[in-house]
Amino acid sequence: MAQGTLALKQANPEPSVQNIQTQSYWGGVWRKLYRDKITLFALCLLIFMISISVGAVWIGEHVLGFNPTKTSLRERVDPPTWAVDAWPQFQDFTRTCQSETGCNWAQSGEILRSVGTGLRTCVAAGLGGCHWMGTDQAGRDVLTRGIYGGRISLRIGIFVAAVSLTLGVFMGLISGYYAATWIDDLINAIIMLLGSIPELFLLIILARIFQPGPEGLALLIGIFGWTGLSRLVRGQIFSVREREYILASRAIGSSSWRIMLQHILPNVSSIIIVSGIFTMAGAIITEAGLSFLGVGIGPPLASWGNMMQGSLGNFTDAPWLVITPGLFIFLTTLSIYLLGDGLRDALDPMLRTK
Amino acid sequence: MVNSNWLMVSQVANYHLLFTIYHLPFIKTMTRYIIRRSLQSLLLLWIATLIGFSIYQAAPGGPLQFMDDDPRRNAEDLNRLNRLYGLDRTILVEYVSWSFGEDWLPATPFWQSGRCMNDVQNCSRGITRLDFGRSFYFQGESVISLIVERMPATFLLAFTSLVLSAVIGVPLGIISALTRGRWPDNLIRVSTVVINTVPDWWIGLLLLIILGGYLQVVPLSGMQDIGDGSFWDRVHHLLLPAVVSSIGGWIGFSRILRFEMLEVLNQDYVRTARAKGLSQITVIVRHVLRNAMLPFVTSFGSIFLLVLSGSVLFENVFSWPGMGRLAYTAINARDYPLMMALFVIGSFLGILGVLMVDILYSVVDPRVRYDRQRV
Repeated sequence: MAQGTLALKQANPEPSVQNIQTQSYWGGVWRKLYRDKITLFALCLLIFMISISVGAVWIGEHVLGFNPTKTSLRERVDPPTWAVDAWPQFQDFTRTCQSETGCNWAQSGEILRSVGTGLRTCVAAGLGGCHWMGTDQAGRDVLTRGIYGGRISLRIGIFVAAVSLTLGVFMGLISGYYAATWIDDLINAIIMLLGSIPELFLLIILARIFQPGPEGLALLIGIFGWTGLSRLVRGQIFSVREREYILASRAIGSSSWRIMLQHILPNVSSIIIVSGIFTMAGAIITEAGLSFLGVGIGPPLASWGNMMQGSLGNFTDAPWLVITPGLFIFLTTLSIYLLGDGLRDALDPMLRTK
Repeated sequence: MVNSNWLMVSQVANYHLLFTIYHLPFIKTMTRYIIRRSLQSLLLLWIATLIGFSIYQAAPGGPLQFMDDDPRRNAEDLNRLNRLYGLDRTILVEYVSWSFGEDWLPATPFWQSGRCMNDVQNCSRGITRLDFGRSFYFQGESVISLIVERMPATFLLAFTSLVLSAVIGVPLGIISALTRGRWPDNLIRVSTVVINTVPDWWIGLLLLIILGGYLQVVPLSGMQDIGDGSFWDRVHHLLLPAVVSSIGGWIGFSRILRFEMLEVLNQDYVRTARAKGLSQITVIVRHVLRNAMLPFVTSFGSIFLLVLSGSVLFENVFSWPGMGRLAYTAINARDYPLMMALFVIGSFLGILGVLMVDILYSVVDPRVRYDRQRV
């Protein structure tokens, strides 16, 4: 954008008045995000995961052709259809590895060939012709259940983020506002308590006793997840309240709450957004753990955690029961983490010039 | 009571509710701090017992819910069991007898449970005297002996993974900070993010499938082979569970250390040390690490807690016979006395861990704030 007269290389080119472009805060954020390819990729991946979860019913009916709750006694713990031939061969191969003669590597070519043929037949049969990820102990299609599981897991993630954000911001503002009074002490005591008891343990007990649905479970997880944000908000209030513009605002007669909501909250908005995104990823992982233990989401509903629940007894015979839900979790939380990382950079105006 | 002049609140004099002892002039500030933190911890522990006790009360259908599954149950039986376990008493009396025992209470149905009135030997002695009652699921075995039996296994796993977290995390953090922005740093940061995106126990399951199932280089479950309790056998069994449950720990340690080292590396005294011509290693060890280590010490408490509460998941994946697996059994069998006991003991360990780290920190770091934090 340098004008002709300014095209000369200078050590410190002074921008002319016309050169300064005004840009709004959110405009700058968007521009920074747009340039950040990794974050854009993460955003696309997240949108993809969310849309297959939202469209799970349609995908299950029309694309894959399986019902996530329809059981089939004949197809219990079937390997993926494309690996029907390759799977016994692979098991043979691992058995040779365990024997004293060592791995029989000659078999590997055969296994690869079977996989190739299997994949070709499956692709020819179309998306709905195969159990792409095998079936579980009740003969249900694992891939369909994985897609349906996203509905529960993502919903819980978003709910938990909402609950912890609300609680965290509220508690942080309150404890910053009433600093050094008994209210602040009380909130600090709660934070200290939550920080020194084994939370997962209490969570498991509560989830077992109350057996909540997805929303209730999200509420439970969220109640334990607000402490970090609350501390951040409180700390931010302390660092902001001595600034001149707060003093100026007080001088023209703003009330404390107005200062809080108009001047302090916008300053912490980036922290809140980023913290919410990371909370969401954490919640998905926590929910998976709870459901894996059998205290989270109950059986007819599919969630990524409870899909792995039954796999403990026979995971070497049916690794797809462990791998598939894990891959779903991996893709979702990876996209969330990368997005959060990119947003943190984009939302911080100090970093934007670099 | 909105304090309109809240900007000035930091000027308000400090006040303390319970701690008159705290104001005695001859006690040093640090001792005061330790006393105050200990009293706080006692208070937290008391609240934890309240939470643990309310688990018992909050259960829908009460602790005798398992009776609902019995088709032959009748009101008479329920009343008898209620009397036997003392569940027909007021909540306050139940709490008192749960925490301080009932052997010293008057021998009336209002104060004592049926078992205690029938036989003095069966009186609850209260959790303060380490009597957590008897288990429902394990056929009347004493809860505390069940837990004590499994404690060494959990501690072995927890401490090994704590040590492993430090052993893996500290070098990673140092390398990451020293090569900031170059490929070792990027590699470490990207891999920690990627590892963080899946549940740790899932990594454990995968490794178990590959290493334990197909390659058979590690055992699939347990603490030792039956009939073989040799040292190497134990180490062999401990290896994978400890490495997997240390994942959260070393990621945390390496991040904290990287952050702290980058802060310290920019300080003037580091530049001075370099300018004096000290070698790189001396600067790092004597000047940077010593200062960067302090926040690292505090994180030990939270990492310990992470390992402790993660034990429920890891011990299940690896069939490790510890408290976490016991907790899983208790929760699935709705064994309330065991659940309460495990929660209270787990909280006690957690609170104790955090307290010890705080005290250690105040001893190590002369700059620690002894007063209530007002920033």
